[in-house]
Amino acid sequence: MGYNTIRERADAIGTFRFISVNLMETLARWVPLTPELEAKILFGRHIWDMAQHADGLGQRTSELRAPLHYSARPTDAYMKVLDTLAGLTDTAERAEAMYAGFLPDLEKRYQAYLDGTNQMQDEPSVRVIERVLSDFQRMQADYRQFRDQRPDLRPKDKGWKSRFESIAKAPADFIAFRPAPPQTLERVSS
Amino acid sequence: MNSGPTKEIRGFVLAADPAREGCFTVVNTDDEMHEWPDMSEISRRERIHRHMNNETGAMEIAAQALVDFPEAPWGLRMNLARQATDEARHADLLLNRLVEMGGAKGEFPIANFEWGVTNMLDNLPGRLAVQNRTFEAGLIDLLGTLRDKWRKEGDHATADMLESILADEITHVRFGNRWIKRMTEENPAILLKVAMAVRFLGKAIGSMQLKPGETNVVGTVWTEEKLRPPAVNIEDRLEAEFTMDEIKEVLSQAGFRTIIPSALR
Repeated sequence: MGYNTIRERADAIGTFRFISVNLMETLARWVPLTPELEAKILFGRHIWDMAQHADGLGQRTSELRAPLHYSARPTDAYMKVLDTLAGLTDTAERAEAMYAGFLPDLEKRYQAYLDGTNQMQDEPSVRVIERVLSDFQRMQADYRQFRDQRPDLRPKDKGWKSRFESIAKAPADFIAFRPAPPQTLERVSS
Repeated sequence: MNSGPTKEIRGFVLAADPAREGCFTVVNTDDEMHEWPDMSEISRRERIHRHMNNETGAMEIAAQALVDFPEAPWGLRMNLARQATDEARHADLLLNRLVEMGGAKGEFPIANFEWGVTNMLDNLPGRLAVQNRTFEAGLIDLLGTLRDKWRKEGDHATADMLESILADEITHVRFGNRWIKRMTEENPAILLKVAMAVRFLGKAIGSMQLKPGETNVVGTVWTEEKLRPPAVNIEDRLEAEFTMDEIKEVLSQAGFRTIIPSALR
C-alpha cells in the first residue's frame, strides 16, 4: 500500500491516532481493575506514552489538511480486535496480549507506513512514527522486566493461544479511507 | 453521584475499592491502620508502604478519569495521562524503596479513602477539585515536612525521593488549578459542582475522622497535636498556582489536616 496523497496520509495518521487514544484508554481502564501492583505500574507507566503518540500524530493531521487531532476510526474488523483486547480480564493475558501481541503487530503497520510513504515529502510524519517505534521498544523491554518480576503471571487458559493469535495477527486492512473528494472524482471522470 | 459499585462505611457511601492483590489487607478507617508516631524501623516501612498505596490510588483516580470523561478537552486528558504515569512511577519508586528497607507489599493494612471519595463524583471539575486541588495539594504540604523529617533522620535516599515526588505533585496541582479556573470562567455553573464536591469531601472526612483520645489497632493515640494540619508549604503552593488568599484560607482551616492522605504523617 502506498501513501501517495495527502488525504491517504491524513487517513493513515488519523487512524494511528485513533488507535493510540484507544490504547491509552485501555491501559487506563485496566489500571484500577488489575489486582497485581507490578502490572498496574506497568500499564500506568505507558498511559502517557500512548497520549504523547496520539498528540504527535494529532498535530500532524492538521498539517495534512485534516482537522487538528483528526481521529479516524479503523475498519470494523480491526475495531473488533481493539475491543477484544480492551475486554480481557486476566492480568497475564492483558500483559501478553498488549506487549507480545498487539504492539508488535502495530509496529509492523507503522513500519509499512514508513515503507509506503515518501520519506522527503512526508518527513514530519516519519519523525513522529520513528519516536513511536522507539517508545514501543522501551515498552516491550518494560514488559520483559515485568515478566522477570512476576514469573507467576503467565496465561493459563487452554484457549488462550488461539485468542492471542487473533490479537497478534489482526486483519491486514485497518484504515477506513475516506472516499476521494468530489473535485478529484470530477477530474478523473472528465 | 457515580453509579458504579459502592461500599458503606460508618453510614457513608463511598466508591468500592479498586482491585488489590491478595497479599494486601484493605481496611477503611484510620483506627484499622498500623501507624506509629515515631521513626522506628517498622514505622518507617509502614510510612513508605502507606505512601506507596496512596500513589497507586492517585494513579488509579487519574486513569479512571480518562476512562469516565472521554469528551474532556484533549489538553486536560494529556495532563491526566501524564499524572497517571507520574503516579505509577512514584508507586514503583516507593515499592523499590520499601524492598530496600527490608519491607514487602502487604506488610501493613492499606486504605483507599481518596479513591472512595473522588470516584463518587460524576463530573470532572469535582474530581479535580477533590483529588488534585485538595488531596494532592495537601500532599504538597505534607511532603515538604516529611522530606525534612527523613533528612533529619539521616535517610537521604528517602528524602531525595520525596523531593522528586513533591516536584511532580506541584505540576498535578497546578494543572488542576488551571483547568478548574478555565472551566469555571467558561461556564460559571461549574462552580456549583466544585462546591458540591468539596462539601461531599468535608462530609466524608467528618464521618471517618478519629477524635482526640481514640487509638488505632497498634495503640497509637490520636491527640489534638496529631490532628493539627501540617505546616502549609506556602512556596510550593504558590508554584502550584494557588493565590495567596487561597493559601491564607488553608492556613485558617482548622480541619485541613484531615483531608490529606494521613498515611504519611
